[in-house]
Amino acid sequence: MERYAMEVSGGCQCGAVRYHATEMFDNAHVCHCRMCQKAVGNIFITLVAAPREAITWTRGTPTRFRSSEHVDRGFCSACGTPLFYEDVTGNRVNFTIGSLDHPELFPPHVNDGNESRVPWYDSLPTLPHGGTTGSGDDDNAAWATAIRASNNQHPDHDTETWP
Amino acid sequence: MSTLLTGGCQCGAVRYALDQQPFNVHVCHCRMCQKAVGGPFAVICPVLKSAFRVTRGTISYFHSSDIARRGFCAACGTPLLFDYPHVEDIGVLVGTLDEPDRAPPENQYGNESRVAWFSGLLDVPGERPTYADNPDMLHRISSTNHQHPDHDTATWPQK
Repeated sequence: MERYAMEVSGGCQCGAVRYHATEMFDNAHVCHCRMCQKAVGNIFITLVAAPREAITWTRGTPTRFRSSEHVDRGFCSACGTPLFYEDVTGNRVNFTIGSLDHPELFPPHVNDGNESRVPWYDSLPTLPHGGTTGSGDDDNAAWATAIRASNNQHPDHDTETWP
Repeated sequence: MSTLLTGGCQCGAVRYALDQQPFNVHVCHCRMCQKAVGGPFAVICPVLKSAFRVTRGTISYFHSSDIARRGFCAACGTPLLFDYPHVEDIGVLVGTLDEPDRAPPENQYGNESRVAWFSGLLDVPGERPTYADNPDMLHRISSTNHQHPDHDTATWPQK
């Protein structure tokens, strides 16, 4: 596992918890194990780590759930966003890639926890396309407009004050 | 009504039952769903609210906008629900089902935010099970696992 210099920021949906890292590890991965599935309510977790000493929690404090003896799952207690997987005996914190401000920069390189991979995983890339948010009929456009007008999600960059 | 599917959060403080097979299960790539689950997308399983019952604990909510809210467990953080309070169905997050196998998605939405690497997911290598190379670590996790089992329990945490 290699570490490299990179300025990275991220946080939860509501913006109560934000983090910054100055270095990253090149370990972006998918974990299908049942514990990771549950932690994020999804079919897998996607994680990428930063060295512990390269991380600053720039706003708020994550809440922790100890899923087993020495593994903490970090989340925002105000909005629920899963933020990290951390072996508390290790040298790094694995951030959930979706909580990063730029998840597109971290394609996973390997799958783990394959004993729990859902049988329909292979269907994902070929699912029909239902369009973009708000596309389709007038009702869809109206609710997308209403969401944009009252969006409580923190933007994908650091902010001086929030909310 | 009778229970067809069950599910809940990682720690087991919140459990729910569905009396109906989810319909129009879909992947949502939108940036709001990405953030809510900390991943590249969410998989949402709609059921009628009349077919959704909380059987243990209380769901916490974050209003991600005026018209939608996200349900989660405040004790362990597991994202559980996507809900438009004014509509008749509610979206359960597939990974919280005790049997996520049983709700395959049929469609994908929010494609404006789909990560470029989504289309390459099947090319990602790796077939190993959890800690296949480290049985000691696997034992440490499995012997101290605080996750609720994938079925209803009479009491939790178990004595």
